[in-house]
Amino acid sequence: MQIFRIPFEAMASTCEVVLCADDEGTAQALAQTAIDEVKRVEHKYSRYRTDSIVSRINRAAGGEWVECDEETAALCTYADSLFQNSSGLFDITSGVLRQAWDFRRAVVPSEETLAPLLALIGWHRVERRDRNIRLPDAGMEIDFGGFGKEYAADRAADALAGQGLKHGYVNLAGDMRILGPKPDDQPWMIGIQDPRRHGGLMATIPVASGALATSGDYERFFEIGERRYCHVFNPRTGQPVTHWRSVSVLAPRAIVAGSCSTIAMLKQAEGKAFLEEAGMDYLAVDHQGNFHQRGDDAH
Amino acid sequence: MQLKTDATTPASQSALGLALLTAAMALPGADTAQAESAPERGLISLKYLDYQDSQRGRDRISVRAPSLMIMTPLAEVWSVSGTYTVDSVSGASPAYHSQQLTKMEDLRRAVDLGMTRYFSQGSLTVGANYSHESDYLSRGASLQGSISSESKNTTLNLGIGVSDDQITPSYGGIHETKKGTDFAIGLTQVITQQDIAQVNLGYSHGLGYFSDPYKLADERPRVRNHTTVLARWNHHFLRTEGTSHVSYRYYRDSWDIKAHTLTSDYAQPLPQGWTLTPLVRLHTQSAASFYLPTDPATAPGPTFPAFGATTYSEDQRLSAFGAVTLGIKVAKQLTPDWQVDLKLERYEQRAGWSLSGEGDRGLEPFSARSIQFGISRLF
Repeated sequence: MQIFRIPFEAMASTCEVVLCADDEGTAQALAQTAIDEVKRVEHKYSRYRTDSIVSRINRAAGGEWVECDEETAALCTYADSLFQNSSGLFDITSGVLRQAWDFRRAVVPSEETLAPLLALIGWHRVERRDRNIRLPDAGMEIDFGGFGKEYAADRAADALAGQGLKHGYVNLAGDMRILGPKPDDQPWMIGIQDPRRHGGLMATIPVASGALATSGDYERFFEIGERRYCHVFNPRTGQPVTHWRSVSVLAPRAIVAGSCSTIAMLKQAEGKAFLEEAGMDYLAVDHQGNFHQRGDDAH
Repeated sequence: MQLKTDATTPASQSALGLALLTAAMALPGADTAQAESAPERGLISLKYLDYQDSQRGRDRISVRAPSLMIMTPLAEVWSVSGTYTVDSVSGASPAYHSQQLTKMEDLRRAVDLGMTRYFSQGSLTVGANYSHESDYLSRGASLQGSISSESKNTTLNLGIGVSDDQITPSYGGIHETKKGTDFAIGLTQVITQQDIAQVNLGYSHGLGYFSDPYKLADERPRVRNHTTVLARWNHHFLRTEGTSHVSYRYYRDSWDIKAHTLTSDYAQPLPQGWTLTPLVRLHTQSAASFYLPTDPATAPGPTFPAFGATTYSEDQRLSAFGAVTLGIKVAKQLTPDWQVDLKLERYEQRAGWSLSGEGDRGLEPFSARSIQFGISRLF
């Protein structure tokens, strides 16, 4: 048995499947099921495809009910639970803010630009009945970008586990789900991106199982003077969050790790209390560059 | 403060963390790990048991029992299993109380077969068993079903079993039968990511020959009904990665025996695939209503049943006693497929340890030790 790393491109980033097999051909074939699953999720929930279920729901906003398949309905239910457990901060209808925040032009939108978009945000107003969904106002949008990548990582890892694999992991641009430790039962050493040094690592942590996901202010951002404007927005103000440079969370599943790290970013200074309450291990860097870990306030 | 390397469970439990995990577990595919599904691989295991019991320096019964178990998945949603055991029993057994040890020897062969069908939210198992020794033939059949809630957090188990035994003692003249019907209902509940609780209720109705044909004065009622309540709690410790299993069992039967059994073990995984599991079991029971205790007037001879009595027994197993079992199991995962384990147990039984206070002090202390070696392989 040997460890193979199979890189692939998906979700606009470099991803990899790491697994153990007797030879490269077998490794490739095994990894392909995981890669196919990532591509399936990416394709199905793409905002850029007009025939996707997300596009159909968004096009019908203010009009008809749209019937979803089971997977989409389940993701909506999951989104609902995130909304409830984050006091409404994690809101999958907040994607409309992208219309105001253009990271290429690096311009801070005016209150007048944001106001009509903020009026379109509000998951609690989305109507759902069994597997049917209806967005009440024309122009309202949902998207699963907030946890789609982590969901894909879980699904890909499940596909590998379904083939009996017990060692390896799926890494979708830093969000990863571990199948199990290395063949010698040692944990994988997972590097965490330094939020201020592109391509650099700020920490390497051993992970043998479960999942690790990171949210940060470094993925898409622009800076004006000292102020950094990142792509994680408060759905009530329409403004980017500023308290955390990055939050990495360890959880049983990638989707939970990813959701917790994003909610912590959204909660700003209260993010730490949220992570402590959620009971997950985490490594966070605040806006001054200070490190925070689970339970460190107790010392 | 270290991040823990195993993130399959949260670092600590909380309502918020549980709410988020529960939400994630409702996603498609997420339940694959917990769903009751047909095993993906077969298992073959060989066990060898060496048991010896004794009283004050004298060995009583010894048992050497090799057994072979094979379980294999079939066509994705089925599994079949079979166990073959040979018990060779030899030694000496008291004719009454703990007196007059009488030599005996027997060979018992037993076959257990089971077939399980797995469904998305449950499973159904049919089982059959057959055992044979020179003076005893037993046949049984069982049906067991389980059904889980959508979240798989709650599982209901139902079972029914029937048995039909034939007793023909070696000295001839007796051809007796015994029939039994068992019912069981149980509920298993996942409470947190680290805790699982289970409650089982069992009822058994038996009709026929319950006496021991080799005892001096042994006439037991021809009906024996018993009820059991079993409560279990398994807890996973995040700090040590170990798991404790605590169970309490209450038993009472129509012969007036009431028993309480408390069992606790703790499995601690260690580096290099080792697992160490210490165990302790405490048991106390009251005597059967027709148990005849030793009589100081006639001891060490037997006690004579009262004139006109129709049921009586001087079997030590029907007396009131308390018992302590201490055990330890060492298991080693050799490769992902091979595992070996060794289990040692020591059992001490005393009349004076019965909490019922009615222990028969004329009985000898009784003890036993067992050693079991097992090796298993996934295929």
